[in-house]
Amino acid sequence: MAATRRLQKELGDIRNSGLKSFRDIQVDETNILTWQGLIVPENAPYNKGAFKIEINFPAEYPFKPPKINFKTKIYHPNIDEKGQVCLPIISAENWKPATKTDQVIQALVALVNEPEPEHPLRGDLAEEYLKDKKKFTKNAEEYTKKHSEKRPAD
Amino acid sequence: MGSIIGVLKNILCRMLQLLSFGKKTITNSLSVYVKISGGRTVAVDLDPTWDIKNVKEVVAPRLGLEPNEVKIIFAGKELGDKIKISECDLGQQSILHAVKVRGRLRTTLPPPSTSLIEDIDEQASKPLSETLNDTMFSNEDSSKSSSNIDDGSTNSGEGTNRTNVHFYVFCPTCKALKTGKLRVRCHFCKSGAFTVHSDPQSWNDVLEPKQITGLCENGSELCADILNNKEPTFAEFYFKCSEHTSLGEQDQAVPLYLIRPNLRDVPCLACTDVSDPVVVFPCTEGHVTCLDCFRQYCITRLTERQFWQHPEYGYTLACPAGCPDSFIKEIHHFRLLNDTQYAQYQRFGTEEFVLRSGGVLCPQPGCGMGILIDEGCVKVACINGCGYVFCRLCLQGYHVGECRSADTEIGANAEACSYNVDPAKASEARWDEASKVAIKVLTKPCPMCRTPTERDGGCMHMVCTRAGCNFHWCWVCQTPWTRECMGNHWFG
Repeated sequence: MAATRRLQKELGDIRNSGLKSFRDIQVDETNILTWQGLIVPENAPYNKGAFKIEINFPAEYPFKPPKINFKTKIYHPNIDEKGQVCLPIISAENWKPATKTDQVIQALVALVNEPEPEHPLRGDLAEEYLKDKKKFTKNAEEYTKKHSEKRPAD
Repeated sequence: MGSIIGVLKNILCRMLQLLSFGKKTITNSLSVYVKISGGRTVAVDLDPTWDIKNVKEVVAPRLGLEPNEVKIIFAGKELGDKIKISECDLGQQSILHAVKVRGRLRTTLPPPSTSLIEDIDEQASKPLSETLNDTMFSNEDSSKSSSNIDDGSTNSGEGTNRTNVHFYVFCPTCKALKTGKLRVRCHFCKSGAFTVHSDPQSWNDVLEPKQITGLCENGSELCADILNNKEPTFAEFYFKCSEHTSLGEQDQAVPLYLIRPNLRDVPCLACTDVSDPVVVFPCTEGHVTCLDCFRQYCITRLTERQFWQHPEYGYTLACPAGCPDSFIKEIHHFRLLNDTQYAQYQRFGTEEFVLRSGGVLCPQPGCGMGILIDEGCVKVACINGCGYVFCRLCLQGYHVGECRSADTEIGANAEACSYNVDPAKASEARWDEASKVAIKVLTKPCPMCRTPTERDGGCMHMVCTRAGCNFHWCWVCQTPWTRECMGNHWFG
């Protein structure tokens, strides 16, 4: 199975690389197609917390892209209430089998740190972000404090 | 006909050998045919340890010639006297060509020469597939490949470490991917008694017609005419499966030239394993996948109908990394799929072709015959198929007047039916109805290609995922996506 062999390698590489912004990677030994991990953003207003995500790889991986879902609620123009995220690198039309999961994660971390209101998934938040950044930042910060996970100590 | 005579001759020869108690009894022999100018074929048993001189001694008497008046041609080269049979890439039932030396009579003594020249001479008089090596064919770019030859074992004169070129073919007899043998014949008379003037240097030389000139020794008048008019005769290259006994000159195999030995240990772009052989895609980067991942790539794209109907090459795929101009030209590469998958590939390819040509597929369950129809024709009959007559517009049974929507059809049928069945109950009990309803409720057709499309979240801006469509449309208006849609109902 190409998916299994490749994901084992990728998982090993990511664990060894010791990313600061993506931690606590948990993979069920019986199902390497589902990963869980913690996104730890650096930029305000999300740097007050951490966000649990789940990455689901299809059986046809790497010929079909993985799907990413936020398990922690987040106030973000590019992530909707259901935790779905619109990440161009893993959209069906942009996906390349040579794209590695660590590139996907880095793109995701970059998107969390720097929202892209031009391609929103939540129109209301994008509008607020563009028209009243102060209000947006305040709301997002409160939301983060209320809903997000604890950041790892180190 | 020729082969039957050949077989009879073979039997006769064997009987004669038995009778004469075999002056030369050969163990571990190689049965080959020798084709003599004029079209006669004789069966000869060879000992792999013999050299070509021995072969000439056996063959010449049958031609009524002296051994030094005969030249032996195989796979585009005249074979030198000192070449061993075992070096010649000959298989059981291979066909050698013996022709009379014209004009020049060779002296029996080899010309006095330094050992170096002799070596070169020997190199050149081996069959083509023995003198070519993989580095020449590993890259289309000749400048790159020549530098690679320099990197490799520098002097092939010793000939110790040199690897012969690996060709992979799809063999229609074995119905599988096999290693192949390169063979040459005259482009004009198709005779194998043909010697090339130079070795092919790249796949282009082999695959494209009229790249390499040569000399046709068949002696046929037509080719002689070409020679007299000083028009060049060209080599025509073809391939044979190297794993089964040759079934004659018609027994050919399709070269799968994207499959190559992994000389550079390039990892597969999908699974990152280094395997051998690999598929090298025809993009400038030369992206590599292993055969397993190639199959999986094909299956994934096939089940999603993401193959591309290319006007020249047919139903094909491009490099999985998305490189431009990287379509696979030789669609026999998809023979790497298993029989079921390949049948599906052929069906989808045919359907796509019919639809692209403005045709329709017969809607009768289990039929699906492709039908090309004249423009403006509404009443379509499935001739040569199931015989169903249907309306081109609604794909229901043919009717006079306006198309009825599918919803009212059930009720209308129930009325005509002699049993009194509750139409609501009947509609729930229809086979496949649940999935049809689900498709109807959950999807909207792409306004361009009518592919039922499901929206699983996000904004109203849809991009059709069907290969070749990629139409941008609005989920709300079911029209092309516009600035107005973005302003009015981007998110519903």
